[in-house]
Amino acid sequence: MKRSAAEIVREYGPFAGVEAVHGVTYDGTHVWFASGDKLNAVDPASGTIARSIDVAAHAGTAFDGRHLFQIAEDRIQKIDAATGKVLTTIPSPGGGGDSGLAWAEGSLWVGQYRERKIHQVDPETGKILRTIESRRFVTGVTWVDGELWHGTWEGEDSDIRRIDPESGKVLEQLDLPAGTMVSGLESDGGDRFFCGGGPRGNVRAVRRPRRS
Amino acid sequence: MESLITAAARALEAGDPLGALNRVALRNDAPSLALRGIAMAQLGDLAKAKTLLRSAARAFGPREAVARARCVVAEAEIALVSRDLNWPVKTLAAARATLEKHGDLANAAHAGHIEARRLLLVGRLDEAERTLAELGAAPLPPASQVVRELVVAGIAIRRLRTKDARAALGRAARAAQLAGIAALTAEVESANLVLDTPAARLIARGKEHPLLLGQVEALAASKALVVDTFHHTVRKGGIVISFGTRPVLFALARPLAQAWPADVSREALMTAAFRARHVDESHRARLRVEIGRLRAKLKPLADVSATKQGFALSPRKTREVLVLARPVEEKHAAVLAFLSDGEPWSSSALALALGTSARSVQRALEELARSNKVQSFGHGRARRWMTPPVPGFPTGLLLPGPLLKT
Repeated sequence: MKRSAAEIVREYGPFAGVEAVHGVTYDGTHVWFASGDKLNAVDPASGTIARSIDVAAHAGTAFDGRHLFQIAEDRIQKIDAATGKVLTTIPSPGGGGDSGLAWAEGSLWVGQYRERKIHQVDPETGKILRTIESRRFVTGVTWVDGELWHGTWEGEDSDIRRIDPESGKVLEQLDLPAGTMVSGLESDGGDRFFCGGGPRGNVRAVRRPRRS
Repeated sequence: MESLITAAARALEAGDPLGALNRVALRNDAPSLALRGIAMAQLGDLAKAKTLLRSAARAFGPREAVARARCVVAEAEIALVSRDLNWPVKTLAAARATLEKHGDLANAAHAGHIEARRLLLVGRLDEAERTLAELGAAPLPPASQVVRELVVAGIAIRRLRTKDARAALGRAARAAQLAGIAALTAEVESANLVLDTPAARLIARGKEHPLLLGQVEALAASKALVVDTFHHTVRKGGIVISFGTRPVLFALARPLAQAWPADVSREALMTAAFRARHVDESHRARLRVEIGRLRAKLKPLADVSATKQGFALSPRKTREVLVLARPVEEKHAAVLAFLSDGEPWSSSALALALGTSARSVQRALEELARSNKVQSFGHGRARRWMTPPVPGFPTGLLLPGPLLKT
């Protein structure tokens, strides 16, 4: 396993009226983050909030190209990114113990925080297709270039780690500075991760290590 | 953090404990237990809250030291409000150190304030002051500022520093307004009442009138000879003669001061000092001895001269003799003074606060209960005593703010 210190490229926020960041996603233009009763779109160039949707937003956030997915209480809401309307909801696999959310390969991937699990879920029915075990509390989840990454947060320590989607084995680990929390993770498809800073109410951009 | 915990924590913060319970009622993981504990505390079921917070502290993993410490602080506050003064202080100090070490300064300060409130309650004013000073003047959230100023005011009131108390209560009122918590505003208002309610009775030349705390304080600067039944002292200016260990001498000094400039008969003095119903020769002999002792002790401030009937006080260099007494003279005034804060007390906590034996507190409480001056609920060790509700110095439940925001 490769282990290194996370390289924080940029910090966004804290934002006025935002107490905590619970989930993060990226739609190709804006970084979206969940702040309890809102989804907010941040322009990554200026760092300001461009738009907000009033919707319950307690944990992970994801984007499938057209829709935003947002965990609230014990369900996952499918939201039209253009209108902000909740289209459908499915039960969340952790029954409310859910944390991170990602969309990849036609499935939703849901982190179950204290159970240290990641579930692959059918986005139409909410059916659990399979479950990957992790060793730490799972926060954010994201897929990039066929790599499965997730954020961890246990006690006062956080890191971002790449795991083998079959075995759950940790392949690579980026340690965040002590006292820095990861509450939501999304790749921009390139060499950046966006991660939520939990109660700090900010979002950080972290460099994704290059493959040699 | 996870979804339902976030939703429940938000409900709690918005003052909706039932909404929070709805979301985590059936869950038994550590954050759910902590949330349920705080919700139950806010709903007033302190016993259940205590159990839940204790299980939460146990359930948090070894890496979650901060979360565990916050549970300990919440439990300590519940113990304080339930007047469980035997709650382990060391555990709270350790939790406070953990929070400080991990940079959770707001909750560390909250822990410090709980310590200071406990010390104030048991009358250890110097230590309470020291604990407050340790916390420094670091910027605190408004709700914590209210608590801090209430403790400062409490210490000032106990020390008879009315001006300081008023200033602290003024700051507390402003902070309470900022915090926007109605219960805190009410608490500051009722603390203000203490300053505007007679705190003592002044007896001079056979006449009585009530005194406010500020007026009691002013007496310290007056030239009068004061017989102080609160502290069992006779004082004038800076000279204080303590009768703490000589109750019989004090029992003689008081009627002499109350009658001044008139004298007091031997019979009356013997009744007051020896509680003797039938006075005989041995009592007269004893009175002579005790008056001799009193004369020696009072020498710097007054003389005790014999008259035809009995004895009279002759104060030196003053034309005023005052007796400072409790507003209502009660056999068990000290017990009532503690109970008048309106909170339920256990008899063992009262004994601890009064520095007397549990048995004598028990006897006092039973006597007071017979005259309907106190009431009790619960049985055995869980039994608690209260005065029928009167404005006092209540202690609200604030609980560590961002308990679950890790």
